[in-house]
Amino acid sequence: MSFEPRLPRDDVNVSPTHPLAEASWLLVAAAVAGLMLAVLAFAATEVVARWLPPGVEARLFGDLWDAFGEEAGADDPPRAALARDLLARLAAHWPENPYRFRLVALDEEELNAFALPGGTIAVTRGLLASVESENELAFVLGHELGHFAARDHLRAIGRGLVLGLVLRAVVGAGAGEAAVPSLASELASRGFARDQERDADAFALQLLAAEYGHVAGAEAFFRRLPDADAGLAERATAWLATHPVSESRIAALHDLAARSHLSSSGPLRQL
Amino acid sequence: MEGWLAFALQVGPVVVLLVSTYFIGSAVEARHFRGLRMRELRSRNFPIATLREVPEGWKVEECGLVSGSCVISLDYFKRFVAGLRLLFGGRIASYETLLDRARREALLRMKESAHAAGYRAVIGVRLETSQIAAATRQGGTAGVEVLAWGTALKLRAP
Amino acid sequence: MILSNTETVPGRTIREFFGVVSGSTVRAKHIGRDIMAGFKNIVGGELKGYTELLQEARQEAVDRMIQQAQSVGANAIVNVRFSTSNITQGAAELFAYGTAVRVE
Repeated sequence: MSFEPRLPRDDVNVSPTHPLAEASWLLVAAAVAGLMLAVLAFAATEVVARWLPPGVEARLFGDLWDAFGEEAGADDPPRAALARDLLARLAAHWPENPYRFRLVALDEEELNAFALPGGTIAVTRGLLASVESENELAFVLGHELGHFAARDHLRAIGRGLVLGLVLRAVVGAGAGEAAVPSLASELASRGFARDQERDADAFALQLLAAEYGHVAGAEAFFRRLPDADAGLAERATAWLATHPVSESRIAALHDLAARSHLSSSGPLRQL
Repeated sequence: MEGWLAFALQVGPVVVLLVSTYFIGSAVEARHFRGLRMRELRSRNFPIATLREVPEGWKVEECGLVSGSCVISLDYFKRFVAGLRLLFGGRIASYETLLDRARREALLRMKESAHAAGYRAVIGVRLETSQIAAATRQGGTAGVEVLAWGTALKLRAP
Repeated sequence: MILSNTETVPGRTIREFFGVVSGSTVRAKHIGRDIMAGFKNIVGGELKGYTELLQEARQEAVDRMIQQAQSVGANAIVNVRFSTSNITQGAAELFAYGTAVRVE
């Protein structure tokens, strides 16, 4: 047996595909798959949001928000008791109301209010301090009640969850985990879509009309915010981020009131 | 608007890393392949075989165990592409080049160390591949090690 | 191309040998197989999906080794060995190597 020095081909154990071509093809495929999953999941959350009975929702989420704070305590911010009473009165105007609403007052200077699944509305001390009439506060609370009526909060949470899952599955596999949580939270916290906001506004106007007989003071709160002293506007950044204030929204409010034959003038009740 | 800015800030570094490591990685790899080919040409007269017995007609004076090993790591671009590939299945081209390089390097090092020690051939060559896991990420790979070993022979002139 | 994992090809003599040739491939499973394997992990039994995947990959590795042997003019590969290694979670390398020879 003799040795014959010969070199074998060296291109056999490597695939001929160009890495950039492979990478772009894979990215496109991943994006398409992710998109399909997201669409499917959005559809699923729509179905759930529509069909989940509020009773079940209240049971599922009700206790979660106990961590936020007690319903009524000695160190409640001023006007909190008033706000609770107001909420109860407003909810009474919604006859088919399936929730047992409760208000949680957060001890923060930041102006904010949000709806949490299960029938809890959270408002901050800053918000309670800055409203100048009961009508303004009623509009804010009524707006959140409107979101409950349309089950918007369920959709938002569902979408946030689904987006997070999909992004993690697609991007996480490719070692880009940093992008996932921020994007998911950004998109989820973008707030509700414009038409959802408009519907919530309409609901709030109806409640105002039922309680006071007119809708004056509804947009007074929003009007004040951008022009107010810097302190107020600063503290309202969180609120503004999810509830964009614009002339068009204020005009839309007037429009809604006019179309529903609601009077835009009347006495404002002081707090 | 700010949402997209935040997103861009998160994704931007990833994209920059991907692009830069693609170019750096392919340059490093191309250079390594050229070097490997050159060394293989230079050392082609040194016989290696997986045969367990000494080829007939060879007179062995001395023998010894020789080995060569190499650990090569993936660059960020390859790891990213491999991660995507793991979703869909199929051949992972980036790992194939990695292993080809590591294997040829290990064999060359075995040859070269045998030659430097005065041996004339290596028989009974065996190869072993293992994953070197990174401590930082669960299941992450720091690199791949290929080990080549065999029995090197010193021959008596026939 | 004759393949054998013995020292020689039974019944033939080796005239020349050309060195070590090898073939390898790295394959990843896809999510579908993973999910099925997850189920099987609970009930037990053969993971047919993985078996097929690895068989295909092994065949490809052998084909590549044969290609290398053909490029040096060999007509047989002796002392063939296989190796399967876990390269990263979800991917395995299938590797075949042997000595390319010319037999008569």
